[in-house]
Amino acid sequence: MQDRLTHVRRGIRDTLPLYVPVLPFALVFGIVVNQSGLPQLLGWSTSPIIFGGAAQMTLLTLLGEGASLAAAVSATLIVGARHLLYSVTLAPRFRGQPRWFRWLGSYVLIDQVFALSVLRKELDADAFRAYYLAAGFSFWFLWLLSTMAGIFIGPLVPESWGLAFAAPVLFVGLMVATIDRWEKVAAAMIAALITGLLAGLPNKTGLLVGALLGVAFGVLLEQKARRR
Amino acid sequence: MMAFMAIVLAGIGTYVSRSLFIVLLAERQFPPLALQALEYVAPCVMAALIVSMLTTADGQVAIGPPELVGILAAAVVVARTRNHFYGLVAAMSLFWILRAMSYS
Repeated sequence: MQDRLTHVRRGIRDTLPLYVPVLPFALVFGIVVNQSGLPQLLGWSTSPIIFGGAAQMTLLTLLGEGASLAAAVSATLIVGARHLLYSVTLAPRFRGQPRWFRWLGSYVLIDQVFALSVLRKELDADAFRAYYLAAGFSFWFLWLLSTMAGIFIGPLVPESWGLAFAAPVLFVGLMVATIDRWEKVAAAMIAALITGLLAGLPNKTGLLVGALLGVAFGVLLEQKARRR
Repeated sequence: MMAFMAIVLAGIGTYVSRSLFIVLLAERQFPPLALQALEYVAPCVMAALIVSMLTTADGQVAIGPPELVGILAAAVVVARTRNHFYGLVAAMSLFWILRAMSYS
């Protein structure tokens, strides 16, 4: 029990510094909600219902632009398709865990929770559960609160400050933390390059294609290295 | 009403994409090649996400020197210190300084 509390604390403690760069993201979200012309509460409801900043902003932007229901939802799901990859990656850690944890844990599987928990290879099943839920629901609570604040404060921040740039910067840090050998650097570069080349494709399809080709490239590199 | 429907559908879809393997397939053993591929998922998806965030709505990648330097700074600082907050401060400071210089 004592032990579990330690991991809960660690989960919360790891969340807080990662959350600082999310604050400007919540502000940007607030701006998007206000620009979409939807009722503010409806826009905010995406926070508990979808709980994923990029997906929420994609959906609200498209709805605001008058996209059809099918187009808006499918674009959102393509942007969110990386969660499938997170789900596959973390599945082994959920093996042998109680059923309720699998259902509940899935709900808070966001980029940062994935990045944090995938690094904690040393934790046993109980410790992992405590750590994962603490980190996940810290993010959840802070996101619900700060998107609410963002809806009211967002329109007050001048766009010329360029605060939105904090979002990609946050992900650069998260990406670097997952890299432990040069093959991964090369794979990530390929993913970035191809996503950039395919940036013109609709519904952010380039993101998925780029990521998948990056993964394929990384595996090829590693297979080659092993054969030698 | 249509907007709320869209939100609920997107919510269900997002949940399914997160839970699919965790809830349904966690007991399955994955082949070694798949496990190896999984190691590459996180850095690649995040790299793609970063580029996609720097892309404007009409499909142009919008990166000038301030963004490029900011991103490199974040990468170097986080790689060295493993501290996301330092990375953010370094990247945003350089980004703002370079942007101010290019405007003047």
